[in-house]
Amino acid sequence: MTKKPIHLTVNGQEYDTFVSENATLLILLREELGLTGTKEGCGAGECGACTVIFNGKPVNSCMVLALECEGARIRTIEGEYANGELSDLQKAFLEHNAFQCGFCTPGMIMSARALLEANPHPSRKEIKDAMEGNLCRCTGYESIVCAIESVGVSKS
Amino acid sequence: MPAYLQPKTLDEAFEYLAREGETRIFAGGTDLIVLMRDGVIRPHALVDVKALPELQGIEIDNNKLVIGAAATCGDLIASSCVSDSCLLLKQAALTLANSLLRNRATLVGNLCNASPGADMAPAALVLQGVLTAVSPEGAREIALKDFFVGVKKHVLKANEIVTKISFPVNKGRGIYLKKRRIRGHDLAQVGVAGFHDEDGIFRLALGAVAITPLLLDDFGCLSASDLALEKADIAKEAVEAAKPISDVRASSDYRLAMVKLFTERIVDALAMGREVEQ
Repeated sequence: MTKKPIHLTVNGQEYDTFVSENATLLILLREELGLTGTKEGCGAGECGACTVIFNGKPVNSCMVLALECEGARIRTIEGEYANGELSDLQKAFLEHNAFQCGFCTPGMIMSARALLEANPHPSRKEIKDAMEGNLCRCTGYESIVCAIESVGVSKS
Repeated sequence: MPAYLQPKTLDEAFEYLAREGETRIFAGGTDLIVLMRDGVIRPHALVDVKALPELQGIEIDNNKLVIGAAATCGDLIASSCVSDSCLLLKQAALTLANSLLRNRATLVGNLCNASPGADMAPAALVLQGVLTAVSPEGAREIALKDFFVGVKKHVLKANEIVTKISFPVNKGRGIYLKKRRIRGHDLAQVGVAGFHDEDGIFRLALGAVAITPLLLDDFGCLSASDLALEKADIAKEAVEAAKPISDVRASSDYRLAMVKLFTERIVDALAMGREVEQ
C-alpha cells in the first residue's frame, strides 16, 4: 500500500512520517507515531474518546484524515504530563475520582483543556456544553464536571 | 482507497473533478469519512476544497451575510457578523451534533450533503439562502429553496463546486427547534424553523419530515397579532405539508405531532416576542 509523506508537530515535537491516504489522524497517532493514549471508541465521531486538539481546536481525531494534518499542530493526552508531573487537569481527575475504566479520560481531558484555554473560568453549564461530545459509560458525568470546575476555580 | 487531492486553485479542482471514477468534494469530512468507513461509498478520489481562497471567510457584503463554503459551524457560532445579522443560523448551528464535530463540519457541507434532516437546512431556508456554484462554464446562483430534490440529492452538476452561501440581512426574528433523543449525539427527529421578517413576512421550514427539507413561504405579511391569530392554520398547513416516515429515530405519527407542537410554539414565541427553550 502506497503511503504519502507528512510533516506535523505533536505535543511540540516535529514528526516526518508516511501514512496511507485513507488513514485518519487517530490511526496516524496510534499506529505510526506510537502515541496510544488517544483511544478509538466509535470511530464515527460520536463518542469523543479520540479527542485531540488540532490547531487549537478540539476535534475527533477519527474524523480528520491524516493527510489533512500536513504542517498542523496537534496536542494529545501525552502532552499533558510534563517535567515528571501530571497536569492540573490530570490531578483534578484523580482527586475527584473522575474515571473508572479510564477509556474516555484522554478525550475528556483534551476537550476540557481546549475549554479552559478558551474560557479559564467556565460555569458548570459551559462545562457541560463543551463536553457534550465526550461520552462516559461508567463514571457518570458529575465527578468529571466537578474535576474540570475545580481547575477553573483554582485559576482564579 | 481514495486518492486524497488538495487543489490550490479552482481550476485545479475542476481538473480533478473531471477525472474518471467517482470523485467526491471533501470539506469537513464528517459525513464522508463515516460513509467511507462503513463502505457505503468507495470514491476513487477526495478533492479537499477547504483551502481554496474562494471558499474562505464570513463577512457582510452589500447588506448580505456571505459565508464561505469552508466556514465550519464553529466559525459561524463564533462570528459576530452572524450573531449581528442572522442569529437564527447560530442558534441552529448550536444544535448540530456537538462542539467537536462543529469544529469540522461546514455549513455548506451540511447543505450539500442534502440530508432531509440536515440541521442547518430549515434555518437557511427561512433566511432565504442563496448558494453560489462555480464550474468551468462559469458561476450561477441557486436559491436554497430550489436546491434539494430528494434524499441526499440536489441540483448541483458533477463539475460544480459551491463556493459560498449568502443571506439577505434582515432585522426580523427567527427560532429553530430540534427534537432529538440525546443532546449532542443525535440527528433531528424533527426540526422546525420559523422567521418573521422585518416586513412582516412569515416563513416556516421543516426538517426530517419529508424526502427534502421543506419551505412553507406562502403565509404572506402578518402583524404580530395576526401571526398569533393564524397559529392554528399555520400549524395545520405544516402538518399537511409534512410526509414523514417511521424509522429508528421516531414514528411518523410522533413526527407529525412534533411538527404541530413546534410550529405552535414558534408562532407563539415570535408573536409574543418570547424566547423558547430548546
